[in-house]
Amino acid sequence: MARMKFYCDPERCIECNACVTACKNENEVPWGVNRRRVVTINDGDDGERSLSVACMHCSDAPCATVCPVDCFYTTQDGVVLHDKDICIGCGYCFYACPFGAPQFPEDGAFATRGKMDKCTFCAGGPEADNSSDEHRKYGSNRLAEGKLPLCAEMCSTKALLAGDSDTISEIYRKRIINRSASVMARGVSYRDASFRAPYNAAGKSSAKE
Amino acid sequence: MGSMISISIPPGSLGAKAAAWSLLLLWLMLLPGQGLAESKQVKGLPPPAVLNPAADLWRDIRQRDMATTGTTQVRGVDSGVLINANGDKWRKFRMDQLIPIGGYLLLGMGLFLILFYLIRGKVRIAGGASDRKLPRYTSYERLIHWFIASIFIFLALTGLIILFGRPLLIPIFGKELFSVIASASKEGHNLMGPLFLVALILVFIKFVRRNIYQKGDMSWLLRGGGIIGKKHVPSNFFNMGEKSMFWMLIIVGSVIVASGLVLIFPIFGQGREWMELAHVGHAIGAILMITVIMGHIYIGTIGMEGAIEGMSTGYCDLNWAKEHHDYWASQMEKRGEAISNEAVNRFSDPDTNRSLGRELREAGE
Amino acid sequence: MIGQFIDGPLWTFSLAVFVIGVVWRIVTILMAGNRPDLSTPRGSASSGAIRTIFSRSVYERTAATRGRLLQIAGYLFHIGLFALLFFAKPHVDFYAERITGFGWATMPHWAFILSAELAFLGLLLLWIHRLLSPVTRLLSDLDDHLGSILVFLVMLTGCLALAQSFEALRLIHLLLAELLLIYFPFSKLMHTFTFVMSRGYTGATMGRKGVNA
Repeated sequence: MARMKFYCDPERCIECNACVTACKNENEVPWGVNRRRVVTINDGDDGERSLSVACMHCSDAPCATVCPVDCFYTTQDGVVLHDKDICIGCGYCFYACPFGAPQFPEDGAFATRGKMDKCTFCAGGPEADNSSDEHRKYGSNRLAEGKLPLCAEMCSTKALLAGDSDTISEIYRKRIINRSASVMARGVSYRDASFRAPYNAAGKSSAKE
Repeated sequence: MGSMISISIPPGSLGAKAAAWSLLLLWLMLLPGQGLAESKQVKGLPPPAVLNPAADLWRDIRQRDMATTGTTQVRGVDSGVLINANGDKWRKFRMDQLIPIGGYLLLGMGLFLILFYLIRGKVRIAGGASDRKLPRYTSYERLIHWFIASIFIFLALTGLIILFGRPLLIPIFGKELFSVIASASKEGHNLMGPLFLVALILVFIKFVRRNIYQKGDMSWLLRGGGIIGKKHVPSNFFNMGEKSMFWMLIIVGSVIVASGLVLIFPIFGQGREWMELAHVGHAIGAILMITVIMGHIYIGTIGMEGAIEGMSTGYCDLNWAKEHHDYWASQMEKRGEAISNEAVNRFSDPDTNRSLGRELREAGE
Repeated sequence: MIGQFIDGPLWTFSLAVFVIGVVWRIVTILMAGNRPDLSTPRGSASSGAIRTIFSRSVYERTAATRGRLLQIAGYLFHIGLFALLFFAKPHVDFYAERITGFGWATMPHWAFILSAELAFLGLLLLWIHRLLSPVTRLLSDLDDHLGSILVFLVMLTGCLALAQSFEALRLIHLLLAELLLIYFPFSKLMHTFTFVMSRGYTGATMGRKGVNA
């Protein structure tokens, strides 16, 4: 069975925020909620890198563990979804999630929590696939149409990858190899770890010296 | 309390600072051995010339020191934090400590009270009910007592449903029905919560003077409040135990109210750390309070004969008062505040009776 | 099934009972009439009536028999409940859909919640006082207790249904509100309407006598 994963390649991400916009538009996300965000670390410094983050669809999801009404479930594709009909909007998943993925729309009394909203890996919710109810609550269900999440499909530099974890890791592995720095290289410098001839690597690597 | 919280979750600047200091200390201790460790790092392979630059990147992404946050176009509290490690600490606290330990604590308290009842039985009035009563609580005092009591019970029940509902109630009701119950509990808890603050203030103002520790409290404590042995221990209007419960109510109650307000108003820019911390304080305080109040309810109802009368009718039996609150009772008796049962039954309003008793005395009856 | 019944026929029935009952009660009171006052008026009866209808809502220190807290609680409960009933968005939406066909300005959500808090505060205090004080306990009959319980339950279920996303909770709230509507005309809850008449009558009598009371 496939196990769906996101992977964002910080060497490729150019912080264009297209994934954020695509997600918001495709899923008609409520105001105040961003299912995906791009975070830049060391902004303006040497090691500046950007990463697009959303729900990581954890294998052992903390949100599902702490939910007092047990509304989270993992689909056969390994996508972590939640049932908004059961959700009571307590916000505990928001506390527990390391990535800040589940968020509450601030439309209740004193901006108290409404039903939580989170990235669905464009897989909708528990309702019938692509029903109007499903679309209203969770946004589009692209997985049911055989498509991948729009954020990843829109990514202009293909930094954000989405799909079966085997495929994703294979793509990433190849990238790393091509970048002359294998993840398996155990801390060897980019140049030394090159699987290519050094003259070939020049100009092709996105890595710094 | 403070130390407990910081052990369970050390977030925020304080916890982070402490962690940084302890790390520094650890590093200093390891300093002599470090070169040794490096030299035999990779067997047979030449030492790496340059460390993987990606390692630094992922270290930054972990943001373990909580100081480096990223920048993002998405506006919101904490949106620059990529990985919030405190969330996991909070999860561990809630799932591994709060629910099991809290559950067993409450269960244990219940079992203890049952056991205590079976062994000790109901504490009877040794001298039997007398024919005279003392006015103990005015109607205003009873009013605010039952006001805070009803709100407390409501809040405790709804809170416990949210806390223990998943392991205990979902197997019984199923997810759909429990979700309805839980939503009702959450909304009710949030709406009634602020009223507890009002009740707490009213109770504090009314009862604080009689709850200041005074002479005789220490001896009451040393003699175990009369639980051990058959002899009753004299005390003032409130005994040492009641006073301690009052202060627990005020202090823990304030913690619960303050943390509760942090939790229901997520609009003041408090981040997840604050809410996690507030939740920890709220939960520990609430469990503690419920445990103590269980004892309070026990001793007030089935645990002791004549104890609830003061709060329900406003009067207590003279013999009961002499046995449990001797200093106060003898003082009241000396002032001639004791009223016959018939008079109580006739007027049964302590506010009226207090003046009535005075009139009767003045009339020489 | 039962939800449809609560939402449909029972609502119509209870509203009918309420409207017809209230009108009938008021008409019977008015039909009872009063004896003509043959004395020469020393003041205006109508101005006295209007003055008294409003002035009796103002806290009168000399007439106070209860503690200050309960005085405040009385105001909180009545004002809070009035605000909730007529200016909370869910209620206005309901009226617009079921009765009037048009809506009107609603309170912001925070004011809605605040008035609910205050109404609860008042109701709880007054209810506990009614049960505790020997005087009010003697004065209260089954009607008073039923009224308190029903109003309390309607408010409580309303507060439990605040998430506005669970049909079952809304239906429980609606069911209790319907029971309250059916009970209303036959109970002391009628004071919602008749207070105007009783105060007006007193005010008119006094006004005619030229007394400001």
